[in-house]
This record gives sequence, structure tokens and C-alpha cells, in this order.
Amino acid sequence: MLVQDVMRFPVVTVEPGVTLEEAYRLLLEKGIRHLPVMGEGRLVGIITDRDIRLATSHLNPKGPCPGCTRVAEVMTQEVVTAHPLDPVEEAARVMRERKIGCLPVLEDGVLVGIVTGIDLLDALLKLTGVTEPSGRLEVRLPDRVGELARLTGFLAGRGINIHSLLSYPENGDRVRAVVRVNTLETHLLAEGLRQEGFEVLWPPKKPW
Amino acid sequence: MVIYRDEYRLYNFGPSHPFSPVRLEMLTSLLQALGVWREPLVPQEATREDVLSVHSERLVKRVEAATRGERVPDLEHYGLGTGDTPLFPGMDRAARILVGGTLEGARRILAGEKWVLQLGGGLHHAQYDRSSGFCVYNDLSVAIRHLTRAGLRVAYLDIDVHHGDGVQWIHYEEKEVLTLSFHESGRYLFPGTGHVHEIGRGEGVGRKLNLPLEPFTEDESYLEVFQVLVPWALSTFRPDVLVVQAGADAHFLDPLADLLLTTRAYARIFPLILEYAEAYAGGRVLFTLGGGYSLDATVRIWALLYHVFHGLPLPERLPEGWLREWEARLGNPLTPTLHDPEVPYPEIPRRQEIEKRNRLTLERLTELVRPHLVH
Ligand SMILES: [Zn+2]
Repeated sequence: MLVQDVMRFPVVTVEPGVTLEEAYRLLLEKGIRHLPVMGEGRLVGIITDRDIRLATSHLNPKGPCPGCTRVAEVMTQEVVTAHPLDPVEEAARVMRERKIGCLPVLEDGVLVGIVTGIDLLDALLKLTGVTEPSGRLEVRLPDRVGELARLTGFLAGRGINIHSLLSYPENGDRVRAVVRVNTLETHLLAEGLRQEGFEVLWPPKKPW
Repeated sequence: MVIYRDEYRLYNFGPSHPFSPVRLEMLTSLLQALGVWREPLVPQEATREDVLSVHSERLVKRVEAATRGERVPDLEHYGLGTGDTPLFPGMDRAARILVGGTLEGARRILAGEKWVLQLGGGLHHAQYDRSSGFCVYNDLSVAIRHLTRAGLRVAYLDIDVHHGDGVQWIHYEEKEVLTLSFHESGRYLFPGTGHVHEIGRGEGVGRKLNLPLEPFTEDESYLEVFQVLVPWALSTFRPDVLVVQAGADAHFLDPLADLLLTTRAYARIFPLILEYAEAYAGGRVLFTLGGGYSLDATVRIWALLYHVFHGLPLPERLPEGWLREWEARLGNPLTPTLHDPEVPYPEIPRRQEIEKRNRLTLERLTELVRPHLVH
């Protein structure tokens, strides 16, 4: 999944000369929290609802002046951006490491979209396959060549379509695989997998 | 009034498929052996137009083509020809026969009948544009739409262990349809939906209610939340009729899911539903069957429903001859009594935590919908 698959466009932007009051009204009206700042067609900064609230707070030593302060005075200038062809996990990592809530997306210097934390959550939902009618299998595998293939091969042999497959490392030598499968019969699959020697964590074996 | 037709058993995905017509054969033969079987009303099959009242033309076309044996390349997009919902000859008609039974139930209600039991149907996973989870066409939604088009407000109650997603999505924006589904949490179980946050959209906001229950929920906890939520929702919504999907797969013996209801819970639930219908829905109620994949448990639960429905005393033991015949046919022992044994399964160590979480889910749900549901 790439940034271009989850980013939003067109992007609502402001010019550096507008006041904080005007920028804040725009955020409220559009129901958004981030505004890239465009000067002469180029991205020159970014301003968020938090920047505006901090700048206009009574606790601010310069005092609040939403009607006379310009966006250019408050915006962040060194903007971290993404490219449409970046993988979503890379966008997520950058946002996490820099503790930022969005990435403007640039292609050849042109602003073509924006990715926010919400878009990445949507991406996560899609990646986990919960948007399709499905049941969930959870299997613990040895972390070695061919184990995942054995698992998916088993499902293929039963004619089961996989909506999504996530796997992540566990305790160094093992891997947890979470599979969303297009069937009501996850218990039957779990039983078959156990007979093949798989360690199935969900659904559980019933003791009766 | 009971609606049934032998041709319901044409809805058959093959001998190893869990949605087995053997359930109906066992059920009707049991009721006959018990001497309580009364001649049912035999419904017509639903027409193509009836089905189109809730499904897309393109879905119906594909079901028809597949039924004729034509090769359709994009069938899987429509949820057909999959492991759960494989094709079989005559599928379109078999599905329309089931729809016809539930639709006939709706017609009888409109004609003044109070209680209707449709011994079939309950295909709650079928969606507008997609067959899903053993369900080709959605008989419940066809019946519900027939009722709302006649100006009635409908409350739909789903006690199948799986979320009633098809019915929910079809009526998601309708204000005259309340849907209320009790199911095992979709965190693990098919179809993965039925979260408390799914409360409807547009005019339907606050009128789609979901109570996702913890795996291994037992009778007591189930009945506790059921007896709070159902009367509250119905008394607030004030429907003209109650449509019930009475799936039996929340039973502890069910091979597909993980709730632990016993027959004793069902012996409380069914009379409660009739009481609620009397108190909040003008006394009108239409029952359908639904899921239920342990033959042993499902047949006893639906026999129980049939007795409660007719106000008959519950038998204790099942007829010897019937038991012998079916044990021979299935090659398994069957529970010889209508009810489960007194201590049917080992103690669940997480019981208190499960009860607590179910109460919490109920609270979250009522908080979410209260502002919208009040009239
Ligand atoms: Zn079910």
C-alpha cells in the first residue's frame, strides 16, 4: 500500500499572509487540523490547529491577537513531506519518529495530497481485512523458511480465500500470523491446522 | 400460524456443508414423533421482483446465470461460488422459496395475524450486492421492506451467534427499521462486524443496535444484558411488529462459534420475546430460523421454540423411536432429553471477567444510542 492510495486531495491550503483568525475559521469549516502554507505555488510551511491555539493563548507572553498575527509568523517552516510512491509504513514511521500529525505529499515540488494519522488508521483497517466479511485465525509459527507457505497452502487446499494476512515477530524465534479468511468455519480450519501440527491460538479448542 | 414447505430442503450446498437441510428433516420428524405437528401454511416462492426489493439486479442476474450452469467470471465478487456459499443447481429457486416463506409471514401479519413462525429462512448475511456466509438472498430484509412499504415500523431482533450484517447494512439509513443484534464479538468471529459503534447513518442513526458479546458468554450473562436492552430499545422505538431471526448457533455445542448458551437460556428467551412483542409491538411477531450447526442442539432448540410458540408444555424426553432412527442415521449419540444435562460443560475460569465486559459493552451501547433513540 502506497501513500498515493491513502492520501487525500485536493488539499485545503492557506497563504502566509492570512491571519490566524481566518486560518482557524477555515480549519473549523472544513473539519480538518492541518493547513499546508503555499507561497507562490510552493510549499513554504505548515500550520496546525495546535499552533494557532498556542499562539493565541492568554498564556502566550506576546498575548493573543488572532486578528493581527499572520500565518507566516507561526507556521513550521521545515516541513517534512512524503512522495506519492512511498510505502504507507514509511509514512507512518516518519510521523511516529518526528511526532507529527500529517505529511504533505509532494511530486516534483508540487503539492498533490496530504496524509494524516486518520488516513493511516484507515490504511491499517484495510490491511487487517476487517472491512470484508470474514473470520479470524491466529497461528504461532516457527520463524523459518516456508512456514507461512505451509499455512497459506493449507488454506488454499481447503478453497479458502484470504482477505488479509498480517505477521509479526514474537520472542525472537517465532512469528504470530493473523489471517482474515472468507469463511464462517474457522473452527473447522483450526482443527485441521492442529492436526497438521500448527499451533493455533484462535479459535480455541473446546474441551467438550 | 406456522409456515413451512418441504422444498425448503432444496436449499442444499451439499452433504458436507454445515447449513444442512437435514436440520429441517430432523425437526419436522421430531415434532411429528412428539405428536404436536400441525399442518403448516405452504407458501409460494418469492418472485424475482420480490428479491429485487432489497437486492441489486446484477447480483440476481449472477445467481440466475450460475443456477443455469453458465460460467460467470466475476462470481466471487458477488460472494458466490466460494467455500461458504458454493453454487448448486436450482440455487436461485431454492433461495426464492425460502424468501417466499418469510415474505408470506409478513403478508399474514399485514392481514391481521399476530404470531407467525416461519420454519426456515433467516439468511441474515446476504447483502444488497453480495451473497455471503451461506446466505444467497436475504429473506428477512425482503419481509421487512414489505412491512415498511405498508407503513409499519419494524424492530428486527437477531439472536444468531453471528452478527446480522446483511439486514443491518440493507436498512442502515432507514428510520422505520430498528435492528438489534446479539452476537459473539466480531473481533474473532465471522463476519467481523457488529461493533457497538455501528449505530446507523442518516435517518437511521441510533436505530441500529449491536451487542457484541465476549466469547464463552454463558446463560446468565446473556440473559442479564438481553433483559435490559431489548425492552428498553423496543419501548423507546415502539415498533408495529417484531421480526426475529432465531438462529440456534449461540448454543455451547455449536461447532462454528464460542458462546455457551444452553437450552435453558432459550427456554427463557423465547417466552420473553413473546412478552416483549405483546408489550411493545402490538403483539405482532414473525419468527424465522437461521444458523445452528450442531444437529443435536439446533433441533432441540427449534422444537422448544415450536412448543413455546404454540403454548405447549415442554416434553422431557425425546421419543425413543425417533432417537434410535436418527442416531443410526447420523452415527452419533443424541441428547435424549429436550434440555441439556444439568452441568453440560466444565466451569469457565474467566466467567466474572466475561460478565463484567458484557455489562460494559451494554453501557457503551446505550450511551451511544440514547441521544438518538429517544422520541
Ligand atoms: Zn450464525
